[in-house]
Amino acid sequence: MGKPINKIMVYIDGTEESVTAAMYAICLASFTGADLIAHYVINTRAMEDLLRASIFLKDEQVEYEHDMAADAERYLNYVKELAVKKGVSIIQEQSKGSVHREVVNAVKENEVDLLVIGELSRIRSRRDEFYDETERAMRTVGCSVLIVKDEDKVWQMYESLV
Amino acid sequence: MSLIDLIVEKIVKIPLESKDKPDVIRELVQILKDAGEIDDFDAVLKVIQEREFKGSTGLQDGIAVPHGKTDAVSTLKLAIGISPDGIDFDSLDGKPSNLLFLLVAPPGMSGPHVEALAEIAKIAQSKAFCKSLISAGNSQEVVELMRD
Repeated sequence: MGKPINKIMVYIDGTEESVTAAMYAICLASFTGADLIAHYVINTRAMEDLLRASIFLKDEQVEYEHDMAADAERYLNYVKELAVKKGVSIIQEQSKGSVHREVVNAVKENEVDLLVIGELSRIRSRRDEFYDETERAMRTVGCSVLIVKDEDKVWQMYESLV
Repeated sequence: MSLIDLIVEKIVKIPLESKDKPDVIRELVQILKDAGEIDDFDAVLKVIQEREFKGSTGLQDGIAVPHGKTDAVSTLKLAIGISPDGIDFDSLDGKPSNLLFLLVAPPGMSGPHVEALAEIAKIAQSKAFCKSLISAGNSQEVVELMRD
């Protein structure tokens, strides 16, 4: 029987929770020897929705798309630094579109065994308006999903990794 | 952090006291100040006013979404104001705005900022839900409706 986890993907979305998830994924990759991918989605779908709803002006949409591209670069580089510090190699990826679709596609294309995501909101409204893109990705991907909680414990685990 | 995590009683004001657009923007920023969510009132007010100057965020059917980015905040900040009588916010359909969501974010959080705005856009599409929010008797009821 081969290793249960050969390829891990961590979804980075610019939140502290996703950075914590990355630290956990780095530890996991180090322990298991699995390949590690960090993926950021520039949510152009949401920006199109905001333009359609007249919440965004056209030049505002362009500005935010630039900002998101810069954020993607910055967060992915930060996660790479975290991985390199612990001697773990990491592949950085970014895509544009609808978050859950892009995550599902990336998992499929990279033949990922385990998707690692940050903690979701503990408040679960039954209203459809409050749906969470990351939660939708979690529900629709074809691989197992690990939700990382307890930032302090993860930080300690990462720090103790030699 | 999701939009719903930001919705607590102290950031909801019902009814709003202001009668016009400049005053209601100040009142919404003051909600954040009074709630201890921001320190620099003027910096937040300025980005919101600058964005409104480029084009009104007053949508259709009584909803307005003033928003902006500033270094004066380190995380997403939301204030909700409800005016049962409505306020002239230069909205798209010319109707007064009853339900106002003010969202401010730091420059480096464009992803969560866009997703929070997209959630507000979805709320705006639900006329029945917006009507129930506008009819709420107090901030506690608004929070309960959102978290239900």
